[in-house]
Amino acid sequence: MKKLADLVIKLGNVDRRWIFIIIAIVVMYPLFKPLGLPIRPSESSQEVFNTIDALPQGSKVLLSCEYGPSTKPEIHPMAIGVLRHLFEKGHQVYVTCLWPDGQFMAREALEQVAENEYNLTYGEDYVLLGFRPGNEAVIKGIVSDIRKMYTIDSRAIPIADIPMMNGITNISDFDFLFSASAGYPGTVEWVQLAADPTGIPMSTGVTSIQVNEVMPYVDAGQIKGILAGMPGAAEYEKLIGKPGIGTSGMDAQSIAHVVIVLFIIFGNIAYYLERQRSKKTF
Amino acid sequence: MFSAEIVGAWIAVFLTLAIFSYLYRDNPFYKIAEHIFVGVSAGYWASMYFWTQIQPNLFGRLWPALHEGLSLGFLGKLWYAIYNFFNLIYPPAFPDGGVATGHGMQLTYIIPLILGIMMLLSVFSKFSWFARWGICYVVGMAAGLRAYGFLNSNVIGQVKGSVIPLVGDVSTGAIINGIILLIGTISGLLYFYFSKEHKGWFGTVGKIGIYFLMISFGASFGFAVMGRISLLIGRFTDLKSFGGAAYHHASLWILAAMVILLGIWSFFNKEEKATKGVPIK
Repeated sequence: MKKLADLVIKLGNVDRRWIFIIIAIVVMYPLFKPLGLPIRPSESSQEVFNTIDALPQGSKVLLSCEYGPSTKPEIHPMAIGVLRHLFEKGHQVYVTCLWPDGQFMAREALEQVAENEYNLTYGEDYVLLGFRPGNEAVIKGIVSDIRKMYTIDSRAIPIADIPMMNGITNISDFDFLFSASAGYPGTVEWVQLAADPTGIPMSTGVTSIQVNEVMPYVDAGQIKGILAGMPGAAEYEKLIGKPGIGTSGMDAQSIAHVVIVLFIIFGNIAYYLERQRSKKTF
Repeated sequence: MFSAEIVGAWIAVFLTLAIFSYLYRDNPFYKIAEHIFVGVSAGYWASMYFWTQIQPNLFGRLWPALHEGLSLGFLGKLWYAIYNFFNLIYPPAFPDGGVATGHGMQLTYIIPLILGIMMLLSVFSKFSWFARWGICYVVGMAAGLRAYGFLNSNVIGQVKGSVIPLVGDVSTGAIINGIILLIGTISGLLYFYFSKEHKGWFGTVGKIGIYFLMISFGASFGFAVMGRISLLIGRFTDLKSFGGAAYHHASLWILAAMVILLGIWSFFNKEEKATKGVPIK
């Protein structure tokens, strides 16, 4: 028993670089050899799906991209999944960006989904209005008069020359708002300055780290469902029946979580044994 | 053979592995990647702000493109003479005849221009007090914009959300959840009430509040771990695809080169020799 305790304490003091290597291996292995672990949509992901699914055909949807390359693995699969669902149902999509990098992410997602998969027409089925600096002021601008905020789109086409912008003056002309957000400014600001004051139905997809911050708005009914991190993206892909990069990362995510939990338990046992031993020494 | 995409992939792999190399220890590869990141970010943001905001929305409103056949008065000509000076300095940002972004002339935008210049003056210690005017405007505007939002969504909205019916068409589960939510909200709020000593029943309620807070912190930690692992998966997915034949096995070559160079660097690094055998904890 003493030998076992010695071993546990010794392993508890192992160089942290071994832990990095183990995590790297367990994350990498499922990427090369997928395990096919089941994905079960959560209630909040289902609510996002139901809300979008219930929109009447030809609805005008405002999609805001507030993420960049650093959070791409979590948010980009959500943006792609939501775009697929929206285009499948024949909605018109207006894309804005509160982050400068969001414009590149949105362009990439639109190229993949709208152009390559659905062969849609720019300006008639979708438009990338692009990035405008100003954080909350941009949201206020879209809420009050979008034409003052955007005189040209991301391709420098005057707004007046874009067919699908006819009749769009402010946020009340949209039927639904989706915020793909990785932080500030993002979902919280859209709720505070757009969804709550105007009553426009809104859903969101956020990074895992933001879930606790945004969840109270979902529970209070201020947001209709939330896609929470990479699992949220994978669940949405499952709901629309189109597996993508979110689904492929979930095996690695699940295995890594199990290993981290084991490390935490093991670390605590080692810490407990070490403390007991030092108490006996003194 | 080496297209821009392939070169981009090699750079991405190098930077990714250079950042990961910090897990071994601080080293020149990490330093290179860190400096590139800071420099590129600063340049990228400055350029992005200029071309998406200052040029179209500020200069585009102060000096909009003139319609053909429009004649300017004396003051107008004087005003556009200033613009022509900028046009001489940098024509791509100040094209001939004005900035064509669909705006009309709005001279009130001189105020943000002046405030912006005043903020830039903060680099000169003698004139740094000018920056306070710009900061005052930004702080005041941001506070005004956010105050309403917070009050409406975070106070009124959340109070409404925490009121859950206990009778009528409500399931038992929803009632239990509602009661837990009510206890958590009240005890959590009371924990942050410091005008009364946390003793007796008040201390007990505060302690219950702490447990709710701990559960919340635990959930935050769990989500944070999930987020970090997701980002790791994203990087590994890219490394995997860039390790394919289409990218000339960029990941494998750069990894091998980096391991060899780090080994040589560690061997000749005096600091490394001095700390050899001391594990990082």
